[in-house]
Amino acid sequence: MHAAGLAAPAGTPRLRKWRTWLAEEIGRERVWRGRRGGWRGHSRSDGGQEIQDLVFLGVHSAGMPSPGRGRVAASKRRVPVSQPGMADPHQFFDDTSSAPTRGYGGQPSPGGLGYPSPSSSHEAPFLADPMSNMAMAYGSSLAAHGKELVDKNIDRFIPVTKLKYYFAVDTVYVGKKLGLLVFPYLHQDWEVQYQQDTPVAPRFDINAPDLYIPAMAFITYILVAGLALGTQDRFSPDLLGLQASSALAWLTLEVVAILLSLYLVTVNTDLTTIDLVAFLGYKYVGMIGGVLVGLLFGKIGYYLVLGWCCVSIFVFMIRTLRLKILAQAAAEGVPVRGARNQLRMYLTMAVAAAQPLLMYWLTFHLVR
Amino acid sequence: MAFTLYSLLQAALLCVNAIAVLHEERFLKNIGWGTDQGIGGFGEEPGIKSQLMNLVRSVRTVMRVPLIIVNSITIVLLLLFG
Repeated sequence: MHAAGLAAPAGTPRLRKWRTWLAEEIGRERVWRGRRGGWRGHSRSDGGQEIQDLVFLGVHSAGMPSPGRGRVAASKRRVPVSQPGMADPHQFFDDTSSAPTRGYGGQPSPGGLGYPSPSSSHEAPFLADPMSNMAMAYGSSLAAHGKELVDKNIDRFIPVTKLKYYFAVDTVYVGKKLGLLVFPYLHQDWEVQYQQDTPVAPRFDINAPDLYIPAMAFITYILVAGLALGTQDRFSPDLLGLQASSALAWLTLEVVAILLSLYLVTVNTDLTTIDLVAFLGYKYVGMIGGVLVGLLFGKIGYYLVLGWCCVSIFVFMIRTLRLKILAQAAAEGVPVRGARNQLRMYLTMAVAAAQPLLMYWLTFHLVR
Repeated sequence: MAFTLYSLLQAALLCVNAIAVLHEERFLKNIGWGTDQGIGGFGEEPGIKSQLMNLVRSVRTVMRVPLIIVNSITIVLLLLFG
């Protein structure tokens, strides 16, 4: 029974625990010894983690403390875990976007069988069935092959994995972020949490930039602009396209101008282009609020809400960009010379001041 | 709101053409923006002027051939479609 127990993976639970208890002790010992310098996982690539891996507890059999304890401790902090089963070990968020691809092989068979041949004396449709079967199977395999090709090559043109990071949001994050955009005055900690040199997914850190809110806000802005024009009898469908094009053109111009000035002032920052697009897209939220209130309560309401949102976005941008643009100099140990830091401060203030101006420019013609 | 993506594209093309047209010897050297006049020390942070000069030189080098192609296409399209 013991020999069979060693060979067979599925034993009784008690037998399995006996078999793995020693391994657990040894494994735990190895993991705990690393505690002085932090968690030094012996089989994982992430070191220095004080956080218990929730998923790891369930998957890995050796070297684990009891699941109950780990689960309670880990549920207090919503921190991403590195699943050993995931293909990309550097992806620090749960990629919930990929739908299970059931392959196209399942389709032809019900289609083929679905063709009834009621009269067996009728030869033509009966003979045509295998042909149509084959044709459908060939077509579906061609489609699957094409899909594979696109999936392999899409990463060359559009950085899909990087973009997926910016859309890893959930409802709680969106709610908190919208609140932060409208009322940033009480928020204390503006640092983005990092996990081994990569920023944490927006789902877990409210300070991380995301592209979901800017994208949705942009589309909502277009729709609200159409609504505003419609209530004033000035609507025509091509005006929607004009609004969209205009807003996108201003966004592009802003991004190019900021990238150019960052290059000229030689700021070493980890602010990527997509980060910048995300930050510059946050002003659409205030614009939507202003236009909607302007539709309901007239010009007074519009000016009040827009003024409030302008100040909020100004403060938000300064507090966010200050950490990205100015902190680099302090963190690198570069001697803080007055002129250089002053230039960076001017740049931050210019970027932040451009936001209210653009918010007004893009909405004042909608509210009459 | 006449500011569309198309006008942005036009403006960008005209700007890049303008940078490509600046003559090295007759013009840039005379105002001190020549490519051999911007060399600072190695340990120093490059100032704004040297960054600008680097940018001008890079744009001129990189965009020379693509500009020919894009300009030809633009000319043909504008002739055909106004």
